[in-house]
Amino acid sequence: MAEKFLELIGLSTRFGKVTALDDVSLDVARGEVVCIIGPSGCGKSTLLRAANWLTPPDAGTVRLNGSVVGSAPERRVTGAHIRALNSNRAQIGMVFQQFNVWPHMTALENVTRAQVVVLRRDRAEAEAKARQTLADVGLSDKLDAWPDMLSGGQKQRLGIARALAMDPALMLLDEPTSALDPELVAEVLNVLKRLAAAQMTMLIVTHELGFAAQVADRIIFMEAGKIVEEGPPSQLLHSPRTERLKAFLDKLSLTALPREHAHDPV
Amino acid sequence: MSLDFSIFIDYGPRILLGFWLTIKIVVLAIALGLPLGALLALARRSRFRLLSWAALAFIELFRNTPFIIQVFLLYYVLPFYGLRLPAEQVGVLALAAFGSAYFAEVIRGGIDAVPAGQLDSARAIGMSDLQAMRHIVLPQSLAIILPPLTNQMLSLIKESAILSTITVQEMTMTAIRVQGETFRPFEAFIMIAALYWLLNEVVAIAMRALERRWTTRPAKGGA
Amino acid sequence: MKFDISYTIDALPRLLEGALVTLQVTLLGFVLSLTLATALTVMREVTHSRWAHGLLAVYISFIRGTPLLVQIFLIYYVSPVIGLDIGPYTAGILAITLNSAAFVVEILRGGLASVPIGQFEAARALGLKGPALWGRVILPHTFIASVPPLMTEFTQVLNASALMSPITIVELMRVSQQIFSRNYHPVEVLTGTFILYFLMCFAVSRSAALIEARLERRRA
Repeated sequence: MAEKFLELIGLSTRFGKVTALDDVSLDVARGEVVCIIGPSGCGKSTLLRAANWLTPPDAGTVRLNGSVVGSAPERRVTGAHIRALNSNRAQIGMVFQQFNVWPHMTALENVTRAQVVVLRRDRAEAEAKARQTLADVGLSDKLDAWPDMLSGGQKQRLGIARALAMDPALMLLDEPTSALDPELVAEVLNVLKRLAAAQMTMLIVTHELGFAAQVADRIIFMEAGKIVEEGPPSQLLHSPRTERLKAFLDKLSLTALPREHAHDPV
Repeated sequence: MSLDFSIFIDYGPRILLGFWLTIKIVVLAIALGLPLGALLALARRSRFRLLSWAALAFIELFRNTPFIIQVFLLYYVLPFYGLRLPAEQVGVLALAAFGSAYFAEVIRGGIDAVPAGQLDSARAIGMSDLQAMRHIVLPQSLAIILPPLTNQMLSLIKESAILSTITVQEMTMTAIRVQGETFRPFEAFIMIAALYWLLNEVVAIAMRALERRWTTRPAKGGA
Repeated sequence: MKFDISYTIDALPRLLEGALVTLQVTLLGFVLSLTLATALTVMREVTHSRWAHGLLAVYISFIRGTPLLVQIFLIYYVSPVIGLDIGPYTAGILAITLNSAAFVVEILRGGLASVPIGQFEAARALGLKGPALWGRVILPHTFIASVPPLMTEFTQVLNASALMSPITIVELMRVSQQIFSRNYHPVEVLTGTFILYFLMCFAVSRSAALIEARLERRRA
């Protein structure tokens, strides 16, 4: 039996009248890769951002390797709480849809800075690690580049390197390729595939079903703030059990039809 | 009307002394007002409603009243509570408080202009709010903050003239006395006007140079 | 010493009279400033004389580079010397007008620049020129585009009116000085004065917000 590494317990969140998360629970085992799919507005990003307490839920608990990351509703936030949270966050790497690389530093500095400031590594050690991780994502020739000189795919790989340099135990990825031009998607997915193969525990929100089919140990389908169906890729994608998942997959297949079948207006 | 600028020979030194005091007062007021303004800006954005409200009250009170009434109030209120400070120090405090309210709004505008995702990535990687501000948000807000900040500093130079109304011997007060003794108001006031204008230009040029140094980077290559 | 609010309340009637003078001075100064600035803006766009542009630039640079108080003193102390018998009230209004106009010219420049050029070309194509073009198309658009900074400038003029007190104009600031120099309770009187200034400015900024909102709705 796989131990529960990341536990999301009973998470609920409302934004005004909209219920974004409705008592959602999810466990991720060490080394497991879980992909979350679903229509927009289904709550997948909210779930991910609750996992590292970036956007705390209204109710529920998150535990990483047994220790509490956050528990809502929170009564009082003390300095000790905050320090513990930041320490937990340092073990959780996050990759954003919009990359969020820091534009006022070079690529090397982007990857070095947090190691020095958060992990208190000494600068030489941090820089060495930075060079290593940048090499791992294929950006060795861009160490002194400024982010605005990088393509979208390079920026995202920089974001991944920045997260990896912290030696995280868990990676959260929020639609890592959704903001990329199609030809740049593959380079990022390749990096993520290598990461998965290296037994990194990952929770990925994505639209890329082909990618999910390849790397995921488990796929979760969410809709309207609830988990509707979950299971291994073969089962979920090829023999969906629920009507809603079937409908979702059908819609995606339709939009993925090759152009020859459409009537092009002249 | 005959102009007699020879008064500058006799009274020049006194006017320059006043000029020097003006410079000292403004520098001190900025040195105090800028950090206070930064704290106010952070307080305004704080999650704690009491702190945010208190900062808002301070800022609105100082931005919606003439500087001269603030100066007078501080000048008379301090002895009321037993604090007897020389006029120059009261002047610096008043100017610093006035400046901080305006600095706070400029700084807040700059911080708000930095995309939310920047703060997200800083927090997600484990930085404390203070670390996130210092390493990620504030440096990016500099480009937006510096021009209006410069304008506020220049405005402080001009507002300092109002300290003459509480007997501080800065440049304007000196000119009033000089014209009282020489009966040559035009020469006296034109001379200090020129000195104010000069100070204004020097600070403006210095700040523009600083802007260029801090917000541009080594030449960009191709993508 | 204890704060005795009865002194504030007793001073209130006279303070309110002073506030009225403050408002009168502010309105007069602002209207004159707008008029002068409009004339200067038109002149700046219409004339090609380098001399005129240079003079305007020097004027703006002087006003923006020197304290208002010094400008007020210059006009107040120098006019009798050059034979101009204008008295403190005129001197004060003149100083405030000249000061504010320099800022309003820059505000209008921004407002003018923000109006799409297509508006002017369309008007010209319809045969409008000269004063009609300016009066019916360019200036109205410019003013509407400049409302927010103009409202801020109005607040600035209100604050500037307090600087008339050193040249003996009996507006709110001076009234308050007169009162506490007699009753020796400066803190109470000044607090009342402070609150009155704050209320006046606050009223202006609230109205400004309302006007801006109205304009937005008309545009939409």
